[in-house]
Amino acid sequence: MKCESCNEREATIHISKGNGFEKTEKFLCEQCANASFENDFSYPDDTFNIQKLLKSLSEHPSLQQTKRRPKQCGTCGSTINTIVQMGKFGCPDCYATFGSQAADIISRVQAHQSEHVGKMPVKSRAHLKTRKKLEQLRGRLEKLVETQEFEEAAIVRDEIKALEEAGDNDGI
Amino acid sequence: MMEYSHISPWMQDVEELPVEMSTRVRLARNVSHLPFPYMMKDNDGLEPVLRKLETALDGYRRVEMDDLQFEDKALLVEKHLVSPLFTKRGLLSYISEDESVSIMVNEEDHLRIQTMGVGLPMIDLYRKADAIDDMLESEVDYAFDEKYGYLTACPTNVGTGLRASVMLHLPALTFGSRIQTLAANLSRFGFTLRGIYGEGSVPLGHIYQLSNQLTLGQTEEEIINNLDELKERIVEEEMEMRSWLESEHLLEVKDSVYRSYGLLKHAYRMPLKEAAKCLSDLKLGTDLKLIEHEDFQFQKWIQLIQPAFIKMRLNEKDKEITSLEHAVEEERAALMRQLLGGE
Ligand SMILES: [Zn+2]
Ligand SMILES: [Zn+2]
Repeated sequence: MKCESCNEREATIHISKGNGFEKTEKFLCEQCANASFENDFSYPDDTFNIQKLLKSLSEHPSLQQTKRRPKQCGTCGSTINTIVQMGKFGCPDCYATFGSQAADIISRVQAHQSEHVGKMPVKSRAHLKTRKKLEQLRGRLEKLVETQEFEEAAIVRDEIKALEEAGDNDGI
Repeated sequence: MMEYSHISPWMQDVEELPVEMSTRVRLARNVSHLPFPYMMKDNDGLEPVLRKLETALDGYRRVEMDDLQFEDKALLVEKHLVSPLFTKRGLLSYISEDESVSIMVNEEDHLRIQTMGVGLPMIDLYRKADAIDDMLESEVDYAFDEKYGYLTACPTNVGTGLRASVMLHLPALTFGSRIQTLAANLSRFGFTLRGIYGEGSVPLGHIYQLSNQLTLGQTEEEIINNLDELKERIVEEEMEMRSWLESEHLLEVKDSVYRSYGLLKHAYRMPLKEAAKCLSDLKLGTDLKLIEHEDFQFQKWIQLIQPAFIKMRLNEKDKEITSLEHAVEEERAALMRQLLGGE
């Protein structure tokens, strides 16, 4: 039996075709089967066509100005144009590299949500705690200086210094 | 890869409910400062991560995509252990012994942790994925941002990286065409309801998948709870529609259930679409107590009739095949006759 797609090679593979209600089964050679495989099974993930959505963004004025010398991500080499084209960021650092544009994209695909409120890795939890503590201490230091309680202020300053140094070691 | 040619252990011998089928949870995770899989020139950057996974995931079976034949890959896809995209571009997957956990390396994201189950509260499945995530997190430096959460290749996954889904058998809602309105309403709330096999207007076996579309701005628990609530509402609607069918159209329902039963029990050639439709009717008939068959398990049988499963049975028989199309349809019919004790 010949491959139904190319009609040349022998069909060795039998698969169910994606939109398969007119014809749910196909007989293909390996090459053709591989080429069509992605469409052959529907998969629940990534259900809506982000490419289309992002294409409309490429006409966005903020993207036009990048035409002269497009900003590139230092880690992966992506530009905002390649990101919009692919509908995907190139690496985790792209999120920071393309700050406001990334925010715009995220807001659009996430129904205007912009803040993660769920799970955090343990490391980040510790980091966040340190940062909150630092903010708190800095506030206190300011007040102490205002009220001229220098002795107490010196202690707080040392605490801040210690926390900052520990943070540096953690790469914070 | 014969070991995957059987129904997954977690799916064996489950108590089947009307409407609700299996549930799946997946978490998307990435390694910090490393290009996402589609941008990676080689896998060198992943090497240290892979070494750590190897020890952390002791007891899991390591399945490399390069080692597999096309049909083995199709089998894994039919069992939902990996995605179609993954079979083309993925690197390897770690699969737990009962096949309820699969960790894909280099799907769209560096790591995709997936747990599956049936008859369990969805939150339990999340907890299971969460625990694996905790374990991996202690080994791998995740890409995480305080504002955006877990960073993913596609912005549709950013935040929790969580996609939870449940499969639902909705023959009555399909019959009454309520499903389109329902799907449209759900999408406004950030949820998707769609056919799981194929995208035609009537999905194979009347099986749909309900999943969350948004991953940012809600906690994992909130996403799961909302999905759970919606699921309950859809199940209720389906049951109401079934009661209506029973009271207003009993004869028609009975007729189609027994026709399908007859076909499954006695046909000698069965295309996939027909087999799935007949099994769906049989399940509806079973739920409505119009028919009884001791060994009937809808989810299991729907999987057994899929092409890669049938092809695997054909291979085992090692008989001469002139037309693959006919051979597959004949084998599918033979399987159904055997399962239902027909001639
Ligand atoms: Zn071909
Ligand atoms: Zn980048």
